[in-house]
Amino acid sequence: MLEIKNITKRFGTFEAVKDVSLAVPSGAFLVLLGPSGCGKTTLLRMLAGLENPSAGQLVFDGQTVSDGDRNWSVDPAKRNSGLVFQSYALWPHMSVRGNVEWPLKVGQMSRAERDARVAEVLELLDIHQLANRYPNEISGGQQQRVAIARTIAPRPGVLLFDEPLSNLDAKLRVEMRTELMRLHRATGATTVYVTHDQIEAMTMATHVAVMNHGRLQQFGTPNELLDRPETSFVATFVGTPPNNMIPVVKNGSGYKIGAKHMPLHPPAEVQDCLAMFRAEALHVRSEESATSLPMELVEMSAIAGRTMVTALADGLRLTAIVDDPPQVRIGETVHMELPPEPACWFGLDGARLH
Amino acid sequence: MADAAMSGPGRRIYFRQGTVLKLVVLAILVALIVLPLLRTVLFTLQSETVTAWSDVLTGRLSTNLFYKPLGNTLIIGVIVSAFCVLIGGFLAWLVVMTNVPFRKTIGVMATLPFMIPSFAAALAWGTLFRNDRVGGQIGWLQGMGADIPDWLAWGMVPTLIVLTLHYFSLAFTIIAAALATVNSDLVEAAQIAGAKGGKILMGIILPVTTPALVAAGSLCFAGAVSNFATPALLGLPVRMQTLSTRLFGMIEVGQVSRGYVIGILLVLISGAFLWAGNRIVSGRRSYATITGKGGRAKRFDLRASRWPLFLVAVLVLMAATVVPVIVLIASSFAPSSADLFANWTLHYWIGESSPDFAQGIPGIIHNADIVRALLVTLALGCAVAVTGMTVGLLTSYTVARYREGTLSAAITQISFLPLLVPGIAFGAAYIAYLGAPIGPFPALYGTFALLVIAGTAYLLPFSVQTGRAVIQQVGGELEESARITGAGFLRRLVSITVPLAVRGLAAGGLLVFVKIIRDLSLVVLLFTPTMPVLSVVAYRYASEGFAQFANAITVIILMISIGATLIANALQTKSQPWLKN
Repeated sequence: MLEIKNITKRFGTFEAVKDVSLAVPSGAFLVLLGPSGCGKTTLLRMLAGLENPSAGQLVFDGQTVSDGDRNWSVDPAKRNSGLVFQSYALWPHMSVRGNVEWPLKVGQMSRAERDARVAEVLELLDIHQLANRYPNEISGGQQQRVAIARTIAPRPGVLLFDEPLSNLDAKLRVEMRTELMRLHRATGATTVYVTHDQIEAMTMATHVAVMNHGRLQQFGTPNELLDRPETSFVATFVGTPPNNMIPVVKNGSGYKIGAKHMPLHPPAEVQDCLAMFRAEALHVRSEESATSLPMELVEMSAIAGRTMVTALADGLRLTAIVDDPPQVRIGETVHMELPPEPACWFGLDGARLH
Repeated sequence: MADAAMSGPGRRIYFRQGTVLKLVVLAILVALIVLPLLRTVLFTLQSETVTAWSDVLTGRLSTNLFYKPLGNTLIIGVIVSAFCVLIGGFLAWLVVMTNVPFRKTIGVMATLPFMIPSFAAALAWGTLFRNDRVGGQIGWLQGMGADIPDWLAWGMVPTLIVLTLHYFSLAFTIIAAALATVNSDLVEAAQIAGAKGGKILMGIILPVTTPALVAAGSLCFAGAVSNFATPALLGLPVRMQTLSTRLFGMIEVGQVSRGYVIGILLVLISGAFLWAGNRIVSGRRSYATITGKGGRAKRFDLRASRWPLFLVAVLVLMAATVVPVIVLIASSFAPSSADLFANWTLHYWIGESSPDFAQGIPGIIHNADIVRALLVTLALGCAVAVTGMTVGLLTSYTVARYREGTLSAAITQISFLPLLVPGIAFGAAYIAYLGAPIGPFPALYGTFALLVIAGTAYLLPFSVQTGRAVIQQVGGELEESARITGAGFLRRLVSITVPLAVRGLAAGGLLVFVKIIRDLSLVVLLFTPTMPVLSVVAYRYASEGFAQFANAITVIILMISIGATLIANALQTKSQPWLKN
């Protein structure tokens, strides 16, 4: 069990992390997801013990490892956790073997045990043939593997990753994703993984914590985030393609989208609000209909036998997934038809309306 | 997750991370830098010494004590910095932006004058240009039959020339670095827009490098006004005083409080100019750091003026480096500087004492005073290199690791404070600070420790900068990842930080070593016969008329400096074995 209780982190007057609470069971794969500057890396560094929280507690398996309220902290090395840095932070003057072995030496493991363990993890990550090379002599993907091998060698109970795949090219990234999930199954360690890439989060995580501006937006399984987004930020940040979020303005007794009246029925008490439509619920028409909006076609791309269509009007950007590409050229007008009711409603403050 | 049981207790954190380290570093810096300066100011404010202020500023003697030297100092500062920026800028432009022949050689030569101690050129000038006005030996040119007028032999003109030939290399380094970062795209964009050479220079290159020009000018100004050796050797014999020679004279004759007042005023003047320079360029700095994609634009084609401009550059560089070195070496063999290249003898190097020669002063290797000075100087260089790099590394580590907070800002500011303080004023401050016992600590005047402490403090801006470069090499995450494994501070230092930083540290240490062994202005006041250093011994011999000994000692300093600098360069550039591909 890994618990984060009311964690707040202030740098001077700036609040990087604001009152975040969540808990995952042992062996979970928790992804901290959010745009850059949302506080996810700060939270990870607090888990690693490199920063101390300004308030709140971090609890690993029932033991408090950081307590911002009482200024209490367990040394980074004594938390039974390991961190893979974004830059990998391989020690350039040590060979691959040296990099993996040194933490074990520091941990006072016997020589025989050490040799066995180093061989084991190098094998596990398929880099045993690189054991005597130096970090500058191997590729970025291989460096990544060495960094992971170094981190898992002391068998930490909690594995922390700081955007580990962001420096790899697209193909390698997909491979390493699979590799990391295999590793997670093999070690069984509780894993906390920071990324801004929602695809990584959706494919790898058992639990996702979406953060923005230092606040926890939503915490749940990938499917929960997709099916029931709690904030408009989550609704537009998660999912491929992202959901469409359309401002709805109350006009007399009815509602307007853009300049057009629409037969919509938001929850009773609200005035202006946001309506979320899934991309697959939209249709692209060549003629105007009761619920369509005339927009400029800006992008079309084929995805898995279907076509993703993006259109733009007055700063509103809508994306639809359709079976057949519209017979219209880029720059011309298409009519984006909305379904009768949105998937859900959000207030202008971003909170979901029920 | 079976083995996830927590082991080891936590600990209470009484302070924010780094607070203890920051306080320790701050305390060291305050003790090394702030207290001496403060103590000097306080000394002049005591009831029996406070009259020194009115003596210097308004009293009957103030014209001679302060205003005339001030005038000379300002003339030196303004003219020297103007010429330094002109010459340094011209050479930098030639080397970085044109197709002048032997660009690289010119570039290396232009950085050399700063390796030569500033008194070397002054001594060489004397050896060449002395006339018979003040008695003693005459220089080579007079000896060859030329009639050297007083204005060329002594006083302001030679001081200006010698200082310019010393400090232009500082301007060159700064301006060349700025020119090198002028993105070739900028120049190409101007060319595409139709601008020609002159327009590009005036419209693009000059505005972009203005911050560097101003910085170079203000640093040369600060250097020139605080220089002691040159005006002392070339100006004092004809009673031309600057603030630094005045300060030296006051302390030598025991008018300590007047000396301190002059020192404080000198600090304020050079500080004001550096501050003003900084002020002018602040906010415009960001110009020069636009990242380029490498690949320099076509060099500016000098066409027919390639060789003439090359000759001009060579002339300046010869005058600044080769000629002084040759003159010094020749003079250390020649019994008479009037006839520099005749009757050479090794007496000044290896001769036994003989009444026929130099009033019985034995040659260098038999001269106990000089040998002792050599040993003290080398020991001082080593000691300051070690202490300087230690404090510098600690300071830059602290500031790099814990950037936020007023404590860090204070540490940074204080560590660069000595830049504003001329060496001779710093020396005076240290006499005020440690010259008398403080509480249980004995007075340190005349001890090796005083030289080491003062040298460490004086060179701190330099060692902190070097330390910062080293810290950048080691990188925060490399150290953090070691910390996570549980390695303690010492173990991290031994296994990670030092192996990665050792070359940078050694190179930095060597440069500190060079700076301290060729320094005269700081140690000239701290010098005592029991604790002699080479540069001061050379200065004494020169002012007593034994030019050969002065020059021979200067040659020794020069050789050690150049050797150490070359080793430092090799260490810095030689790639580390694990970085080889």
